[in-house]
Formats: sequence, structure tokens, C-alpha cells
Amino acid sequence: MTATTLDRAAPAGTGTAVTGTGSLLRFMLRRDRIRLPAWALGLPLLMTYFAAALDTIAQTPEDLAGLTAFTSSPAGALFGGPGFGFDDLTIERFLAGQYGLYVLIGAGLMGLLTVVRHTRTEERTGRAELVRANVVGRHAQLTAALTLTAVMAVIVALLIGAMLASRGFDPGGSMLFGASVGAVALAFAGIAAVTVQLSEYPRAAAGMAGAALGAAFVLRGLGDMAAVQGSGPSWLSWLSPIGWSQQTAAYVHDRWWPLAVSLAFAAATAVTGYVLSARRDFGAGLVPPRPGSPRAASWLAGPFAFAFRLHRASLIGWSVALLAAGVAYGSFTQPLLDGFEDAPEDLVEVMGGGSGDLLAGYLGMMGLTMALVVGVYAVLAVQSLRAEETEGRAEPVLATSVSRTAWIGSHVAVVALGVPWLLLVAGVGMGVGAAASTGDAGLLGDLLVGHLAHTPAVWLVLAAAALLYAAAPRVLPVIWVVLGYGLIAGYFAPILELPEGVLRLSPFEHVGEYPLENISVVAVVVLTVLAGALAQAAVAAFRRRDLAGGA
Amino acid sequence: MTAAIDIHHLDKSFGRVKALDGLDLRVDPGTVHGFLGPNGAGKSTTIRILLGLLRADGGQARLLGGDPWADAVALHRRLAYVPGDVELWPNLTGGEAIDLFARLRGGTDPVRRDELCQRFDLDPSKKGRTYSKGNRQKVALIAALASDVELLLLDEPTAGLDPLMEAVFQDCIREVKDAGRTVLLSSHILAQVEVLADQISIIRQGKIVETGSLTELRHLTRTSVEAVTDRPADGLANLAGVHGLRTDDGQVRFEVDGDQLAVVVRELGDLGVQGLTVRPPTLEQLLLRHYGDQLVGNGVGKVA
Repeated sequence: MTATTLDRAAPAGTGTAVTGTGSLLRFMLRRDRIRLPAWALGLPLLMTYFAAALDTIAQTPEDLAGLTAFTSSPAGALFGGPGFGFDDLTIERFLAGQYGLYVLIGAGLMGLLTVVRHTRTEERTGRAELVRANVVGRHAQLTAALTLTAVMAVIVALLIGAMLASRGFDPGGSMLFGASVGAVALAFAGIAAVTVQLSEYPRAAAGMAGAALGAAFVLRGLGDMAAVQGSGPSWLSWLSPIGWSQQTAAYVHDRWWPLAVSLAFAAATAVTGYVLSARRDFGAGLVPPRPGSPRAASWLAGPFAFAFRLHRASLIGWSVALLAAGVAYGSFTQPLLDGFEDAPEDLVEVMGGGSGDLLAGYLGMMGLTMALVVGVYAVLAVQSLRAEETEGRAEPVLATSVSRTAWIGSHVAVVALGVPWLLLVAGVGMGVGAAASTGDAGLLGDLLVGHLAHTPAVWLVLAAAALLYAAAPRVLPVIWVVLGYGLIAGYFAPILELPEGVLRLSPFEHVGEYPLENISVVAVVVLTVLAGALAQAAVAAFRRRDLAGGA
Repeated sequence: MTAAIDIHHLDKSFGRVKALDGLDLRVDPGTVHGFLGPNGAGKSTTIRILLGLLRADGGQARLLGGDPWADAVALHRRLAYVPGDVELWPNLTGGEAIDLFARLRGGTDPVRRDELCQRFDLDPSKKGRTYSKGNRQKVALIAALASDVELLLLDEPTAGLDPLMEAVFQDCIREVKDAGRTVLLSSHILAQVEVLADQISIIRQGKIVETGSLTELRHLTRTSVEAVTDRPADGLANLAGVHGLRTDDGQVRFEVDGDQLAVVVRELGDLGVQGLTVRPPTLEQLLLRHYGDQLVGNGVGKVA
């Protein structure tokens, strides 16, 4: 299948390093016939959603003015941007300056995931080997992947620009904001072009590029906070590809030149990618593999120890990331409180401080955020279980005296233990950061309790994912809906004015966001029992079905 | 004596595709049973049902006297399995994987494990992701051969091995057989089965089309004869059971049905035979008898 689309070879004797790029690009477009429109329409739709949501919370000029206090606070800067023109706020300025950040992040994800998907993933699976054996140049794959990403970035930029302009906003500013979204996609495509050279693994390559995205978010967050406070290292924003796009100040200064920095950065990283790719072997990373132990450690016996061994690397990675994120967000506590002081009541409510206790509101909300992130871990872990089966590694294990119950049971048990562990780590990070920031050591205990209290909710997500995997592995991705709904219900419920019954469909809306709300012991027990029942059903379903073939 | 594997009228469908269609198979203890068939004939499906990884739609399967689905765990302690496409964990070394399989199965002989690593020339300290297909297969083979089990289920176990390792593999299987264990050896490498198997079953489109010892199956097919005779041998073409007779330069070639061989040899003697080459049918020929229609249709060739 791969080979047949590549049969239009270049004439003999004219091959260069990029020969075949055109054919590869057409092939990628064919493969991404659903994925490409999903991204290209998804980001403009997200922007449309923000625009519509903003219309509902800011119907009068007074409402809009009320937003100013929040947006020009350090908190607003951290979760929004440098707040250009917020002293004379308009809907479009707020849209681009506050919500725009999330569309920029989405565009960064689009860029890096697209490049990884069409380069390292292809190499890892061996499909690229078939392709490269044809009349295809050394750099054709990367060139085609970058071109594809550029095409997607242009489409997204134009659609967002057109959508904003069609709402009656200034056309110049609208197109500039659209272009700034596309620029982030290009910058992270460039970063991914480098990271895919470093590791043999697509997941590691995407992880490194994702970490760069996270760093870009934090850098510009710190810089923007300094900018709105009028003191501190506001230049930090200029170290971030997201920052460059925000510095265009659409609808305010309408300056295009920061995007030149983005383009130069994208070009430089892409060139680095090409240079690095010429220095490595096909299929290899830049770091050569090291030999390991010729014997298994003595503890590595039995299905549970084995499941732990398989999940260990990912648990370590998540622990480090959550600890760092916890410390980072924890240390923002005091600056956030300062920024919130003058915020109007309804905005505080949006941020989770409905009872007027801002500190508790912020900490409770961070607990929920970390719980959602650990939920992502749990779902990815179940997906890795599915990969064990479909890639044929489960089969030889299940051909030993490991029963199906033991196999799925030990994996789910390892992940289930990983959930409170990761929440604990995130809570420790948040607690230490918050205690250091505010000088109140008591916050550590509050945050530990608040984070760990979400364990049963994440367990429920885990058990539901396990049940889907066991009963209908193909529809496992549906579980993301639960997490997505948890995010919407947790963050945007006050804006969306969801009825209580609908809100409580999310497993994360029952235990309570401690320390803002009290922990409901009933909810803890009910969620745990429910999770246990689903896990039991998962085991029963897995015992009954055929195992997917490996080869 | 209970059969190591006893299958009656086994059915299995994947959606509309019928993978097994009333399959019967009997493997006696202590024998090496060759399980021959082209790709997609149902070999792996049969083995996966025997391992309890798939559930049969109909029919009966008994493995070492037990039910492969219900008694899977107990049975798996007594058998070892080598899949055709071995996938290893990228961040575990080959040695770790071998130990792991052994421990999950319930114990192994460490001396034998190291000896096998040496014989198969495997470096157990390399990570799973760095192994070639052949080396991954060696990992699974060593794990299976080092374990003290009654039954080996081998699904095209040497597809990635070079001829040298193939020879090592054959030695190992002979040792297994001498130790009185049972082997189900699925393959489409005919020479391997010919050398190792006591009994052969040929599967085609989910059905066993032929089963028996190699001798018994040979009886069913034609022997190739080349002879140089004093007098013209064209007359042989009129004998019963002689097919495809050709003569050039005084040399005659033809195929003869197994049960007519005696008559033909007597006749050759009468014609003043000077040189005679008689070749038993190869498994290729046995298979071609059953798949000949397909192969000729594909233009692959005729029985030579």
C-alpha cells in the first residue's frame, strides 16, 4: 500500500536529497484526509467557541470593563497574556489577548504532532524504510512533513482570520491574529524536526517537543506577569515562540514584525533538524543504545512485578513532570493573590473562588487540574496496555501460566497505585511551592489532602478505560470525552451555567475541591466502589474475548 | 495413551472469514508433528485456540487432556510457545525477557539457558528494540527450549534464522524429541518439516487435507525417475501410473505413482538400464498436489 502510491519516480539520474517530496506530500495528505480537516477546523472552532462564550459573559460595556481588573492582574497575565490594550478593553482584544493563548497552544501541538507523526513514527514502524528504498531522497520525508505542517498552518491562519473578521472585528488585526496562530505551529514544527532526530521513539520525540511547548508557556507566563506588574524580567516573554505571537498585539499595535522572529526560529530549527538527520543512521537516534543486564533482576518475577517494570519508566517521567509543574504553579500562589485583590466578584467565581476565598479557590482548582492530568496518565497507561496486545507482546505472556485475570489485573493495579502516587507528588510540589511563595507552611498539608482526595475520581476514569479496553478495544479513545468533559465542567461551568445534574456527570465534580470545598466522604466511597465494580467488569470482559493477533 | 493434542471439527470465523472449517488434528505424545500449510491456511489460528487466546466457535479441542480455554493457566505450565512474529519489550534486554518468560511459566534451568544462548549465538545484554527479527526469534526459542515442559507449540519458529541457526534449531528439536517431549511444528519451510517431523498434517483453507507419516504421504504421490536405457523407453508411457514421460538424448524422465513403482522398475530392467536416478517426492510436491490448482493459476510452476 505504501509503495504503490510512490510509483511515480523521478527520472533516473536527477535524484537529489529531496527527490520524491511531492509524491510523499500527496501521500501524507491522503493519509491525513480526516486528521488534517479536524485540526484545520478544530482550532478555528475553538476560537469561535471562545468568542461565543465571551459574548455571553460580557454583554454590556460595563461587563467588559469589569473584566479589566482581572485581565491586567498577574493571574490574568499567567493564564492569558501581556494584556495589550486592556486598559481600553474591547471584545476582540480580550479574545486575542486572553483566550488566544489556548489557540496558540493548540497550534503548537498541531505542528509538533504532525511532524512527529510523519517522520519518526514512520521510521519507527519501518514503513519509512519501504518508502526510502524507492526513489526518495534522504530529506524528502522531513521536507514533506514540514510542508504539510506549513499547509495546515496557513489554512488555520486564514480560517481564524476570516472567522474573526466575519464577526465584525478589524480585518487587519484578525488576519494578524490568525497569522500569529500559524506562526506557533511553524515554530513547534521546527522544534519537532529537531527532537525527532534525537530519539528513536516517536513518543519521546513528541514528549521533548511537548516539554518545549510547556517551557514556552511558562516562560511567557513569567514574562507577562512581570510586564503587567511593571517590574521584573518581562524579557522572558521574548524567549518563547508563544510569546512572539502574543507580542504582535493584534487589535492594539497590530505589529507584524515579531512573526519574523517566529519564522526565523522555525527556519533555524528546521535546518538544525536537517543537519542532525544527516549525522545519524536511518532508524537510529543520536544517542546510541546502551547494553543492559543480561539477566532479569530477581524481583522481576510474576505478573505484578512485570507490569510494574513496564510502567516504571513512564511513572518516573510523570513524577518528575508533575513535581516540576506543581512547584511552578505553587510558587505563583502569592503573585496570583496579589493580582486578584481587586478582581470583581463574578470573575473570582470563574476562577473557582466563589466563596470569596481566593487562596482556597486557586489551590482547589489546581488540585482539580492535577487530577485531570493524572487522568491523562491513567488513560495513556490503558492505551499502552492495548498496544501490548495489538503489537503482539501480550500473546507470549498469556501463553505462560499468567491468567488473563492476572495480566489485566496487575496492569490496572499498577496504574491504580500510580494514581495516588502521582497526585501525592503533584501535591507535594504544589504544597512546597505555595508554602514558599506565601510563607504559610500549613498549605502543604491542605494541598496534599486536596490532591489525594481526587484519587477515587481518577480511579473511576481508569476503571472505565479498562472496561472499554476489555470489552470493546476499538472504542477506547471514547474515554477522552470523560476527561474533556471533566475539564469543561471544572473550568467553564460558571460561564456555561450548566445545571447541577449535568455538571455532576463529570466524575471530578463530586469529591469537592479541597480546601475550597469540604471533601465528601460519601462521594469518595461511592466513586471507589463504582471504580471497583467497573474494574471487576473489565476483568470479566477481558476473560471472555478473543485476543487480538500480534502479526 | 492420551493424545497431546486432539482436535475434532474445530470451527472459527473472524467476521465473514472462515479461518477454520471443521479442522481435525491429532498429535501423539513424544512425536514431532509437522503442521504444514501456506500462509493464511489457519495454522496460527489453530495454535491460538490451543493456547486459549482465541475461543473456538464450534468443535472440540483437547490439549494435554485439558480444555485449552477453561484450563489455560494450568496447561500453560506444561507447554511453551514460540510465535511466528516475536515482539519484545523495547526497554527490556533479551536476557531479561528470557528470564521473565521462564519465571512466568514456572521455572527454568539457568545452565541450559546459558548454554542455549551460546549455541544460538545470542547476546542477552542487548535491548529488545535493537534486536533483528532473527534475534527476537532466538529469544523466544531459547525461552521455550530452556523450559522443562511436555509440549512445545512452535509457530513458524525459524522464519528469521540463517541456515547455521536453522541447523542448531534442528539439533535442539531432536534433543527435545529424544527427551520424550511433544512438538507441534507449524511451518511452510518444507525441508525443515521433512527432516524433523514424524507425522505431518497438511492444512488448507482451515481444513486438514492430508495427515500421516512422511512415508504414508509419499505413498500417495509420485516418484520422479530419470533413466538411461539401451533400448528406447517410450513404451513406458503406456504403463499404468506413469505420467509426463519425456525423452531427450536417450535419457527418459517421468513420474510414477508410488504403488506402480515396482512394475516400472522391472520394465526398466528389461530395457537394459544403464543409469537410474529415483527421487522420493519432496514436500513441495505433496503440497502442490493439494495447492497445485492455485500455483499453476498463479503461474508459479508445475510439478517438476
